[in-house]
Amino acid sequence: MQLSFKKTIFFALLATLFCESLSSQNEQVRDTLQPEQLEEVVVTGQINPQAVNKSVVEVKVISRRDIERQAANTLADVLNTTLNLNITPNTGTGKSGVSLFGLDSQYFKVLIDNIPVINEEGVGNNIDLTLINLDDIERIEIVEGAMGVQYGANAVSGIINIITKKSSRNDWHITAYVQEETVGDEYEWFDKGRHIQSVKVGHNFSEKFYANAAYFRNDFGGFFNDRKGEDWPFDDGLRGHEWLPKTQQNVKSLLSYESSNISLFYRFDYLHENIERYGQNVDLNPNPSTGTTNPSARDEMYTNNRFYHHLNATGLVFNQVNFNVSLSYQEQTKDLERYTYRFRTGTKESVESGEYQSRSAFFSRGTFSNLFRSEKVAVQAGYELTLEEGTGSAAAITIAAGDSEERQQLDFYDFFTSTEWQVTPRFSLRPGLRVSTSNLFAPQYVGSLSAKQTVGEDWEFRAVLGAANRTPSYQELFTYFVDVNHDVQGNPNLVPEKGVSTFLHIKKNSTFSDTFRMKNKLSFNYLGLEDRIELIVVNQTPLAFQYNNIDQYRAIGSFLENEIYYENFKANIGVSLQGISKVLNSDTQSNDDFLFNVQLNSNLAYTVPKWQTTFSLYYKYIGRQQQFVERTNEAGDQEFQRGETEAYSWLDATINKRFIDGAFVASIGARNLFDITEVNTTAFQGGAHNAAPTQTPLGYGRSYFIRLTYNLNL
Amino acid sequence: MKTLQTFKAFILPLLAVLVLAACSDDDTTVINDGEPFVVAFETPSGNLSEIENNRDIALVYSETATNIGQVVITISSSNAIYGEDFTTIPAADGNTILLTINEGETGASVTFNKLNPSLDETVEIRFNISEVSYPNAQIQGNTSFTLNSSASLGRSFAPTVGGPNEQNQVYIDLSTEKQTTYQRDEWDLGFYSGSEFRVAINGSVYMAVAELESTDIDAVSSSDVADIQAAVAVGTFDPANEAYVDHPDGDINKTAISAISSNNADNKVYLLNLGFEVGTETPEPGSVAIAGAPRGYLKIRILREGDSYLLQYAELDATTHTEVTIEKSPGYNFTFFSFNSDSLVNVAPESELWDLNFTVFTNLIDGAGSYGFSDGVLHNRKGGVVSYQVESDGYAEFTFENVQAANFQQDQRAIGSNWRDVLEGTLTPDVFYIIQDPNGNIYKLRFLALTNDDGIRGYPEFEYELL
Repeated sequence: MQLSFKKTIFFALLATLFCESLSSQNEQVRDTLQPEQLEEVVVTGQINPQAVNKSVVEVKVISRRDIERQAANTLADVLNTTLNLNITPNTGTGKSGVSLFGLDSQYFKVLIDNIPVINEEGVGNNIDLTLINLDDIERIEIVEGAMGVQYGANAVSGIINIITKKSSRNDWHITAYVQEETVGDEYEWFDKGRHIQSVKVGHNFSEKFYANAAYFRNDFGGFFNDRKGEDWPFDDGLRGHEWLPKTQQNVKSLLSYESSNISLFYRFDYLHENIERYGQNVDLNPNPSTGTTNPSARDEMYTNNRFYHHLNATGLVFNQVNFNVSLSYQEQTKDLERYTYRFRTGTKESVESGEYQSRSAFFSRGTFSNLFRSEKVAVQAGYELTLEEGTGSAAAITIAAGDSEERQQLDFYDFFTSTEWQVTPRFSLRPGLRVSTSNLFAPQYVGSLSAKQTVGEDWEFRAVLGAANRTPSYQELFTYFVDVNHDVQGNPNLVPEKGVSTFLHIKKNSTFSDTFRMKNKLSFNYLGLEDRIELIVVNQTPLAFQYNNIDQYRAIGSFLENEIYYENFKANIGVSLQGISKVLNSDTQSNDDFLFNVQLNSNLAYTVPKWQTTFSLYYKYIGRQQQFVERTNEAGDQEFQRGETEAYSWLDATINKRFIDGAFVASIGARNLFDITEVNTTAFQGGAHNAAPTQTPLGYGRSYFIRLTYNLNL
Repeated sequence: MKTLQTFKAFILPLLAVLVLAACSDDDTTVINDGEPFVVAFETPSGNLSEIENNRDIALVYSETATNIGQVVITISSSNAIYGEDFTTIPAADGNTILLTINEGETGASVTFNKLNPSLDETVEIRFNISEVSYPNAQIQGNTSFTLNSSASLGRSFAPTVGGPNEQNQVYIDLSTEKQTTYQRDEWDLGFYSGSEFRVAINGSVYMAVAELESTDIDAVSSSDVADIQAAVAVGTFDPANEAYVDHPDGDINKTAISAISSNNADNKVYLLNLGFEVGTETPEPGSVAIAGAPRGYLKIRILREGDSYLLQYAELDATTHTEVTIEKSPGYNFTFFSFNSDSLVNVAPESELWDLNFTVFTNLIDGAGSYGFSDGVLHNRKGGVVSYQVESDGYAEFTFENVQAANFQQDQRAIGSNWRDVLEGTLTPDVFYIIQDPNGNIYKLRFLALTNDDGIRGYPEFEYELL
């Protein structure tokens, strides 16, 4: 009853807003979908910041405006509509990872202002995309393919570089918004749905000093579906949530100083997150003597605390050399509190709390560009220092009974150099090399070579060869599960997996008129991994498993991306075909055929200037995904069969409207219009103890949101 | 200054909204599902003949008392008279006893004094809870307690398996409500006391044993067994290793060691894998740590010596051996021997005095061979106990008429590990068991817990009722 009442209010609000936006008759035309005539400047993988079309490396940009139109709060929201990138939510942990070219988050690196962001499982990789809030950012730069020379370990499938806002045209600017969102059809003021509040204040203290501060709160009530939440004292497997509820609070601030020779900024980011996992099974504790019960359940509360400090200096020395030096200290600690919850009294018993997983890192990266005075050749040299320390508790990774945690210190001392050589005005070459030494691994060398050729005014050709390695995970290094029946062990002697990628991009810019422009890009990609780490049988009798560097992985594909601007209409339409082959040297009878997957995406936006309103549609189709799985056939023999995850589509729609000259912006929208919650799959392999799951969770069904933003610029 | 005021005017209400929205309700909810306050006898029956002078009759409350109250217990007896044959503390007034419920208490008790030592099988004394004065009180559960000389009517039990190391073998006798506990590595070999000459290995420490070619124990050395040593173990995932363990169904004719022959030339030397010491580590909640350090290997040979057994054993590379004569133990399933103490040990009750054994055991998995199981419950096949599983949620309604005698299984794993779901870490829903003891008493039994309230394994609980 309560739910339906709240829902009524919610939709009434939606309706009011919608009518308002249609009837309003503003004359001002400021919101336009035409790209700003100043070409977008990018920094990712560049020797000097430069226009995106000048970059030898292919960089995709998602602008602040794109993010706002989508009412995206976190990186997970915005990447869900990007071609090739798939968001992979884990309903059990509440984290959202990414899959690119078939490789998971371990191979993908997330950076903020050129430096990797920490999380409890990695420095830059293994990021939970829902923990990266986008309120203070200017744009997102995406590079597909290995970027090991510029960004070091784990930048294998690609990187995301989030560029934060460091200046303002206004003396004061204040932005605050509230966003209310249903989770599927679940919504209540406090316990259900998603409730977001944000406030951001920026101020230019003087010509040279700028500061901003932001606070963000994201309260996700979880997705109940058929489950009943915390206060469900029945032993029917319905307690708890299908998607874990979590609350995030994020405080950020930035102080920047800019003068003609040097720019400095210090950025601070503190994140606090609570994840609530209420045990699904209720122990009724029947007392046969009295015929009564005293139900209890086991609950787990996770708390994430992330601290991020980043001090950066850029400038010019000797009137020639551009330097860019970052110093950063970051840590993320995930704590776990476990207890027995007694329903009748509402008390927590046997409370145990401790650290679950943690990472901390001191990081420094410096680049020195234009080392020689030359019109044609720009030489950059750089260093990267990572002093990382991590722990994994017995609750987080499988280690020997009685051991409380594993702890690892991993230090990287890397040097890299890169040269951009303008061979002809139309042809440039960009070789690069990184040497990486560490306390755990033998020195590693990764190289890169990029070339760019322009033909005529409109054609750009790029060939990008890159390499990067992936550092073994704690699971792979430290697993210890040995008892009478099992022998599964990590391997401290593992070496990093070696990744190489090659991309060929052909780009055509077409301008038909002032209001009709088009960009088309056709890309071919190859990505290969050697020394892939896999759990293999190392002894037959008794049967023993260990992680080893043994397998190979190949991804090949092609994708076509088109941007069309026609008057007030903008479209991004893409199609991608990717094939994946796994050579399992660990298995006697594997199948290394390429298995292909098709993706389509189509993001459309149309602005009605006199209403100051933009209508947007985001569509993404992910074709069936196949994977070889080992199964027992009818004859009773083990064989590799093609397992399949069914195709599915996402569709989001939003309407943005500006009021009073942009002082207020209202957005309403619906996400996941096809109402996807899970998709059938046969692509998982069952274990010795468990049947393979037949469905993989993807979303929580069709949801609606409303966001009201207030902007004040003084 | 003006700008600041504008700023305040705009931002303060907004902040207020934010703060308001940010303070969600975090107060704990107390679930009151109308559960009554119940006073009941802890168990429904007691054996009169086992009482020497007195015994306490325990009463339990469904929750810790938060008020003061009173319980009225009515006594009825046949062939026994209050004051002559027995008395109680508190004393009865007429045929009623008054007990006070005090705040903070979880139960109370009545002491039964047996005055006449020769009360016979015809005597029955019943205590009935006839009235409870307490807020929201209800009379249910074990509302009466019967003292006579018959088999137990049932009760609940929490066998002391010992937690996540499951270090104990717990023998339960349903009819006498007796629980006997031994650590599972106290013995190594069990010499069968029945007519057959058979020797069992201790599957609860995951022992394995393989027959060798030789009949000369002193001639066997570690180089002779090097090829098979690694394979003679539990949990190697080699189906052929079934030959190295006693069949888990409990049939004495299916032991891994062949029948001991009266012809010494037939009695081969065996390679004995002593399995694992009892684990001592504390695993994560829900997991077990059964196996500790490996205990190594011995070579053994067993012969007959008249009606007894002759055990020869030695370290693998020893050229001499130790000999022990082991007699059968009438009334018991086995005579047990321990290599740790080099002596006979008493590690199980008499054959007729136990029905169920809570123990770690070695099981067989089709296609994977032997596999170490925890949380096992084996019935006393050799003592004549049979049981079967009922898949139904009708435990409460199940009566003697519902018993299907044809379903009774000899296989001692009829309960086995079927009662729990090891992946979910829960009880198997909607199953219960029917058990017939050597004296023909038939019980229904169901499990109440696999773990304790904190999710720690090795704390099973069950209840049973005489049908």
